[in-house]
Amino acid sequence: MKKYIILVPFLWILTGCKYFLDVQPQLQVDESLAITNANSAEVALNGLYNRLGSDGYYGSNFPALSYLSGGDIQWTGSQGAPQEITARKVTADNGYVGSAWQSIYRTILAANYLLETVPNLNDPLLTATRKSQIQGEALAIRALSYFDLVRGWGGIQLVLQATKKPSDNTGIPRSTADATYAQVLKDLTDAEPLLTETTNRNRVTRKTVWALRARYHLYRKEWAQAETYATKLIDDAASYKLVKPYSAFFANNAVNTNESVLEIAYSNSFKNGHFNWWLPPALSGRREWAPNAQLVTLLNDANVGGNRKELIAQTAPPGNLWYGKLYYRTPTGTDPAYLIRIAELYLIRSEARAQQSKLATALADLNAIRDRAGVPLSTASTAADLLLAIEKERQVEFPFEADRWFNLVRTGRATAVLGISDANKFVFPIPNSEILADKALTQNAGY
Amino acid sequence: MKQLIYKHVSKKKEQWLMPSGMAAAPLLIGLTIAGLHPAQATAVPNAMPQAMTRVAVQPIQGKVTDAKGEPLPGVSITLKGTTRGTVSDASGAFRIEADPDAVLVFSFIGHKTQELPVAGSKGNLTVRLETDERQLSEIVVVGYGTQDRKNLVGAVTQINAEDIRNRPVASFEQQLQGRVAGVQVSSNTGVPGDGIYFRIRGNTSINASNDPLYVIDGVFVNNQSLQKITTQGQSNNPLADINPADIESISILKDAEATAIYGARAANGVVVITTKRGAYNTKTKVSLNASAGESWAPKLWDLVSGPEHATIINEAWVNDGKPFATRPFRPKDQLVNGVAGRGLPEEQPTYDRLGDIFRAGALRNYDLSVSGGNQQTRFYIGGGYTSQQATLRTNDFQRASLKINLDHELNRKIRIGSSNILSRSDRTNARVGDGPQGGILQAALHTPTYLPKFNSDGSYAKWAGFDNLDVLINNTDMHSISTRYIGNLYGEYDIIDGLKFRSSWSIDYNNYDEYEYWNTLTNRGSASKGLATSSISNNLIWINEQTLNYRHSFGGRHTFGALLGNSVQGSTATQTLAQGTNFPSDAFKQIASASVTTSSSTRGQNNLVSVFGRVDYNFAKKYFIEASLRADASSRFGTNNKWGYFPSAGVAWQIKQENFLQNVPAISDLKLRASVGWTGNQNGIDNYASRGLWGGGYNYQDNPGTFPVQLANPDLKWETTRQANAGLNIGLWNNRVSVEVNAYSKYTYDLLLQVPLPQSSGFASIYRNDGEISNKGLELGINTVNIERAGLQWNTGFNISTNRNRIEKLSLPVDASYATERMQQGYPFHAFFVYKQLYVNPETGDAVYDDYNKDGNLTAADRQFVGTALPKIVGGLNNTLTYKGFDLSVFVNFSYGGKTYNNNRFFHESGGTRDDRRAINKNQLNRWQKPGDITDVPRITTIGNNYNLSPTSRFIEDASFIRLNSIVLGYTIPKRILQRIGVTSARVYYNGSNLWLLSKYQGPDPEVNVTGNQTTQGYDLGTPPLPRTAQFGINLTL
Repeated sequence: MKKYIILVPFLWILTGCKYFLDVQPQLQVDESLAITNANSAEVALNGLYNRLGSDGYYGSNFPALSYLSGGDIQWTGSQGAPQEITARKVTADNGYVGSAWQSIYRTILAANYLLETVPNLNDPLLTATRKSQIQGEALAIRALSYFDLVRGWGGIQLVLQATKKPSDNTGIPRSTADATYAQVLKDLTDAEPLLTETTNRNRVTRKTVWALRARYHLYRKEWAQAETYATKLIDDAASYKLVKPYSAFFANNAVNTNESVLEIAYSNSFKNGHFNWWLPPALSGRREWAPNAQLVTLLNDANVGGNRKELIAQTAPPGNLWYGKLYYRTPTGTDPAYLIRIAELYLIRSEARAQQSKLATALADLNAIRDRAGVPLSTASTAADLLLAIEKERQVEFPFEADRWFNLVRTGRATAVLGISDANKFVFPIPNSEILADKALTQNAGY
Repeated sequence: MKQLIYKHVSKKKEQWLMPSGMAAAPLLIGLTIAGLHPAQATAVPNAMPQAMTRVAVQPIQGKVTDAKGEPLPGVSITLKGTTRGTVSDASGAFRIEADPDAVLVFSFIGHKTQELPVAGSKGNLTVRLETDERQLSEIVVVGYGTQDRKNLVGAVTQINAEDIRNRPVASFEQQLQGRVAGVQVSSNTGVPGDGIYFRIRGNTSINASNDPLYVIDGVFVNNQSLQKITTQGQSNNPLADINPADIESISILKDAEATAIYGARAANGVVVITTKRGAYNTKTKVSLNASAGESWAPKLWDLVSGPEHATIINEAWVNDGKPFATRPFRPKDQLVNGVAGRGLPEEQPTYDRLGDIFRAGALRNYDLSVSGGNQQTRFYIGGGYTSQQATLRTNDFQRASLKINLDHELNRKIRIGSSNILSRSDRTNARVGDGPQGGILQAALHTPTYLPKFNSDGSYAKWAGFDNLDVLINNTDMHSISTRYIGNLYGEYDIIDGLKFRSSWSIDYNNYDEYEYWNTLTNRGSASKGLATSSISNNLIWINEQTLNYRHSFGGRHTFGALLGNSVQGSTATQTLAQGTNFPSDAFKQIASASVTTSSSTRGQNNLVSVFGRVDYNFAKKYFIEASLRADASSRFGTNNKWGYFPSAGVAWQIKQENFLQNVPAISDLKLRASVGWTGNQNGIDNYASRGLWGGGYNYQDNPGTFPVQLANPDLKWETTRQANAGLNIGLWNNRVSVEVNAYSKYTYDLLLQVPLPQSSGFASIYRNDGEISNKGLELGINTVNIERAGLQWNTGFNISTNRNRIEKLSLPVDASYATERMQQGYPFHAFFVYKQLYVNPETGDAVYDDYNKDGNLTAADRQFVGTALPKIVGGLNNTLTYKGFDLSVFVNFSYGGKTYNNNRFFHESGGTRDDRRAINKNQLNRWQKPGDITDVPRITTIGNNYNLSPTSRFIEDASFIRLNSIVLGYTIPKRILQRIGVTSARVYYNGSNLWLLSKYQGPDPEVNVTGNQTTQGYDLGTPPLPRTAQFGINLTL
């Protein structure tokens, strides 16, 4: 009988096994525990801003798509993706395009989760004001995300529910560009009343929504509304004004100056990659790209760049290589990402006014920018001259932000200025992997 | 109150018992039964049923000698049909008690086994054992046991570790290259101690592991790197913690019959390692092996000179349609837009950075072991020290190891024992592979040769995103220390004759301590005023295992065996990471002195519970049948699929035992084998792959943030591989020729795959069981004794194998970690997915690419599959020759049909697009220059597709090679000389490795890979080539 005791060890499995095999993760939490109360809603909101500022999105990749496409930046590194973009050989396999696409949709996922869960939370610590505010911020960021998608890729798939299982949000066809813009406007409109009318340069407030609406209406050629919303911020001089000189908004580790309407803040616990692409090796970057000769000449021209020449510098001889230094700080990776500055609202209003033949006030707005840059004031006297002057002003005002390419495409000037004959190339390709993964998604023509 | 206390205590006990306590119980119980319980210790002998009659037992004594009559210690003498036995002592003498009708079996490794009946011996025997070179590894280690080679049903190859110790590499798997049919080994880099590529019968998985399961003395050891501080390429190989000198034998279990007993982790084969043990009743033996030598890079890259570089760039300028007058390399005094010229091409200097970074590396190796045993206890103590300098500067590998194996027989029925490996691997690292920052080989290889090392002001010049090479050579400060303990403690109890119970506890503990400091001269540290990272990882695997083993012969011709076992395993991995910047000065290197610090910690855990069994039966050693089953339950899998079941069955027919072959002397062995079985794979995937998860660390403004990172899949389960194997063993002329052939077909389904999701969902992928992969192959191994004469012996070992891998089903293509390779249904692994360059137009010099979809445009849709990194055929040929005191071994291995993507050429042949940012190689000089030129290097220009399209087939090269892997020449000093100085044996030797390479590959060596990520293979990007080595050494035995 005794020898059968040795079989006892085999029996234990029947008892302790289930508990033993249920190992809970400690690094991450189960989805069901994600947003359950005031605190977890707030941290999920932080996660939303984190995605907005992630490397794939405003943390470097998305603005890079714009300025690398814009004709003023040369590729000086080793990677194939920026080489393709600057050489105008973008394929549907381009890694930068894919990574921006992915990051924008992740931002949308974070927003959708908040929009779905926060209204249903019953936590006395979560006040109605905060509840509204969180939803407003999520709506505004979702609007910005779709705005960036539509200006980059044209009409895209509108995903308005959080993905909780793999079958969610499948089979959605592409919307038209107009329908996508309509969703942007709806989200901005819905967000506005939910938000407080305060000034916060690192988070979305009602004022941020106004700024985004000014930009939205400019893209939609709704000049009067563009002017109205730009004016709301420009008139708020206590909060927003052009800082002087130009470099005052970024130099000497400045953050959250009056120049900024929305800038993503970075710190040691959340960094971005801008510096790495721009700075030369001696300053811990890899100088993957740099201002080209044309831009260097413009920025160094006292009549064009003025004090905006502070944006660039040169390496030690015998190299003497030019590099951009908008993103330069230590600890590395803590430079803010500039999403919208008051300077842009001046130029939006200037253009909107010129389009409405309000030439004098349009010129005044333009000259506000030129005055700050320390260049001679413009004397443009026709709407056409003004519009051209605004275009040129934007080129040297936002050379390292997400502006030049989208601006030229928006105004229909990309062919004339950049010499791109194939209109199909005014939008980026849908990443090839997405075409494979999603039967409902179609490629942009020409890719 | 009393009740309360009672409850409390009882609860505590329960907690202690579960889960680990539950696992502890079996051992306690096992030991209790075995009679170790103090209360029973004295009672046991009497309580045991004494099955054997004591009446006629008589003492037998005798002596065992070798063929020459020299005493042979350590010979195992057993009573046939029982497990009882003894071992001959130092003088060859033995003593055993046996029935008069008993038969004694004398066996000793390397000698023919002999049986002698006790009857008629008159209590005194002299036995002479003949040597048998071909039976050196007659006893083969298999899963949970050993097997006589003749009785093997499965496909198992056992390697005597002594035979492969010819190449001074850090780990034993690398030494297996070319030695075993069906095993593909690729070194990946020339840095000792770095990860290697090891596949048994092909790749079965995309996202789970393709590495075999490694079992060392019964311990399932971790072979996944704990390295967290990147060296930008391969990560460390955890198996380099094990000193190859401690290994006795390595068994490669290949087919399902052999592996299914390891169930859910066996789909990629199993490598069972047995370490050295002492021998009972032997004189204590002291062995010393010491060797020293050098390693160097046999070949480096051919880069152009400064003037040639300048010529190419000027040519691009002109070909782009820009005026010659404004070319970049024009006289320095000619200003264009205020920018001076770089000087004429012929004025350019040339700097040899590769010469600065490669060196002759010193190799040192010392192994000292003491082994022996008395009647009850045997021991092996080994100490080893290895130091290997890489040929690439600042990479060193050092390992100190201690090995202690002990076995003790408490009495005739009970044995306890322990196997222990304690080692410390100390690496000096550098950033070797991809990525410019700190990239020591990239800085040397990719910085244009004309660019100076210093700026005009005397400061270090830095080019193209790279560090200054001199700065890196003198300031790279990266270290890692791996402290490893692998141990096993077992108790064995012979319950009755033929029935054995074994319980064991095993531990694999690994502490991996890494540190890097980048000072203010380096790119990484300059802006942040010094940057330091410290990472400490701990990995603990514990295993408790019980087995019951039964073997019984009856009716003279029937042999029956059974195995029943269970095992419980837990793994915990933790990591603590700290980073500091802004140091007071470069003299301060520890993070305590940094003014800005960040830190984090992570923890992961998984558990596994298993039950397994095996039965085997043979009739007259003629017909064999075996079947096994293992059930595994893993914490990693979805709630709906916790348990997996893995059965196998095999049959064998030993035809030689049939009457019609008994009288055919030429045929000494003829066996047919067949097996089929199912094995699983769960290694390499995340511990929580089946859960829906939100992650932390998505911070904003230094406030914590969260974000959804993974969708749940409660149906997630094992990958399953079904494998069928058919084999044939032939032995001719007393096995002077032995041949083994195996044909197999593996089919893996329910792949654990990170299936891409539309990114619009916000998720990149989900773990799903999706996809199927097949591997079909043929293996041939031949061993021959060509000459066998007094004083002269010549043996040859040859193996060759082919494996055809194909992804049979995959819902979506998956890009490899380097997207030049793609996994897609209908194609093999590691297939290159590129734009195919058809030719260079002789008239225009432009590259012509295949318009794959014939739409008239060159788009992403025109990429196509061009070859794979997987070789069609691999193998090796080894010849050993001994003549009198001399021994010579020459080993050649080869690989045919694989491709390598030479990404260095992508950078070095960039047609001027990379101007002053990348070096140029000599092959670029073969560019098209004028109409009529026939070449595959297009016209140099920065415009158009010639050099702006990537990846292209232009850089895919044939990676076939034949390598003179090693030569060993030894001389054993005659005994008569040694006797005077009290040395038993002494041998001196020369050992050379990688002495010759035949390959069409343009880089230094085709056996390279940039990354440890298993989805990419055959991708050469700044990978240091395998070194050539020469060593002298001595083996001494006292």
